[in-house]
Amino acid sequence: MPEAPEGGDAHEADTTETRDALAERRGLDAPVYAPAEDSGLLAGAAVEHARGVTLEVGTGSGWVADRVRTEGDATRVIGSDVNPHACERAHDRGVEAIRGDLLGPFRDGALDTVLFNPPYLPTDPDNEWDDWQEVALSGGESGRDLIEPFLDDLARALAPDGVALLLVSSLAGFADVVEYAVARGLHAETVAEESYPFETLSILALRHRTDRE
Amino acid sequence: MKESLLDIVCCPLDKHDLDLEVTEREAGEDGEITAGTLTCTDCGETYPIEDGIPNLLPPDMRE
Repeated sequence: MPEAPEGGDAHEADTTETRDALAERRGLDAPVYAPAEDSGLLAGAAVEHARGVTLEVGTGSGWVADRVRTEGDATRVIGSDVNPHACERAHDRGVEAIRGDLLGPFRDGALDTVLFNPPYLPTDPDNEWDDWQEVALSGGESGRDLIEPFLDDLARALAPDGVALLLVSSLAGFADVVEYAVARGLHAETVAEESYPFETLSILALRHRTDRE
Repeated sequence: MKESLLDIVCCPLDKHDLDLEVTEREAGEDGEITAGTLTCTDCGETYPIEDGIPNLLPPDMRE
């Protein structure tokens, strides 16, 4: 007999204990953005378009990055986040994780594909929650507090023939985001779109603008 | 983290190269670096690697 029943029970108890201890140590119940409709829309476009070295900025649970890693044609998929709990979750999923702020820790031209589902909910500055959940959702008063610094640095980090897929909600002002990107030398094209009762979500493909345009 | 990540990341402050010092690595030729330090070759700022995850936040954004 390979294992006595008591042995099996003890093993099970140990496993539960280990899992609970791990959950406590790693803060697995800590707020990390859970995949939603916007994640599904981004993942679908990313699986289709991602090539080469692919970075998901603000990867959260790592769900989108993991789908690209397992279903897409990228050669390497990295996830970054400011939230340490998110980095651990993504890493546990098998995604290479980096704790960092937007594109700050990436070399010039190093990224063939960049994916970003930014925090975009417009929020009242007097009524913010000051926790990781807020960091994952709030886009400041305009909804563009993270989108604009991301676009400021994108042309630097993006490879010459690279593409960034940015999820844009109508709540953050679609036309404002496009105008801001174009003013930073980028070409913007909508590659996917879905409408919901309170917002329209678009996936904007951003590339370096060529001299011909 | 994998050592080859050094081709992709840089110092978030001045975008210079990072030097890797490994203190713990998983077994095998391509073993993941689980603990160590990344040091900017220009400004000397250091960034820790803990549980396989490099923390490349600028110093003023760390808790």
